[in-house]
Amino acid sequence: MMALSRLGRLAAVALAALALAACASMDVRSFVERGTDPTQYRTYTWGPADVQATGDPRLDNNPFFAERVQAAVEKQLNAKGFERTTAGSHDLLIHYHASVTQQINANGTDQPYVSCDDCKPYVYDAGTIVVDLVDARTSRLVWRGWAEGSIDGVIDDQAWMEKRIDEAVARIIERLPRRL
Amino acid sequence: MRQLPGLTLAAIAALAVTGCAATMNVSSHVERGLDFAQYRTFDWGPADSLPTGDPRLDKDPFFQDHLQGAVEKQLAARGLEWSTSGTADLLVHYHANISERIDVDRMDIDRGYCYADGCSPPVVEYEAGTLVLDVIDTRTNRLIWRGWAQGSVKRMLDNQDTMARQIDDAVTRMFMRFPRPL
Repeated sequence: MMALSRLGRLAAVALAALALAACASMDVRSFVERGTDPTQYRTYTWGPADVQATGDPRLDNNPFFAERVQAAVEKQLNAKGFERTTAGSHDLLIHYHASVTQQINANGTDQPYVSCDDCKPYVYDAGTIVVDLVDARTSRLVWRGWAEGSIDGVIDDQAWMEKRIDEAVARIIERLPRRL
Repeated sequence: MRQLPGLTLAAIAALAVTGCAATMNVSSHVERGLDFAQYRTFDWGPADSLPTGDPRLDKDPFFQDHLQGAVEKQLAARGLEWSTSGTADLLVHYHANISERIDVDRMDIDRGYCYADGCSPPVVEYEAGTLVLDVIDTRTNRLIWRGWAQGSVKRMLDNQDTMARQIDDAVTRMFMRFPRPL
């Protein structure tokens, strides 16, 4: 059994970790093929489903996850003026990949001569969603956007997961220029 | 910080779930708005073809038999009947996975400072097991529920009794989240 005072301290650390996880930031970036203009495309369809493992058995072959991502991407692309069509008449193939890896945050403890009381290192699950736009005619990637961030506890809470997917996808597609 | 006591309890609970590798983490995803009372029968889907990531568990009948027994018991307790006629309402499928995970050794870190360049946190590796249980509606061929349990399998893989107990515990707790009461 742990002493009560120790429990109290641990609780404070856990509280800090909870607060961190709750307002976890997201790193959102994108690349564009130089010399191409993504807005020249109008219609899209979904490319073949991702066959790569996500690195987390809870997410592999998980339609609750996959369908939410697809719905979010469609909503955002449509809002940008793109249009989903049936295969055959599309300008773009859309593809996404999700991955989960463990990361360590040294939380300052790897800095020399820095002293602090509760800056303990911790391990967290980092999640990445990558959205690819592929030119259907040339099969070349013309645009890739991605979001990365801590997803500790997110997969275990379906409503939270859905919220994070919506937010990540909205912020990824936000970086795509709007079709005129 | 005024509301600390209530939050502290929640934080301790969170810590018990995440901080200690020996504790099992259980959760699920569900198809919303579906009436789970409509189902009457279930059958086992095709056996998992994916490797578990650990040769001790691959094609291990002790593990598989005990797991299947535990799942059948939970389903039966919820009024679902096992049917091998090929027309079951539900197909049940599971996947077990063992992977190496890391944690930082919190007990060692009471200092929170570093005297030299390049101090790195003390990292410990452990074997984490994930058991995923899928329930599929055979009429629509859609996944309607996925439950999982995750935790350290250090002691479990070396001891048959511990394994049996952990399977029972995992399956019981998973099914507490199944939207069809006892």
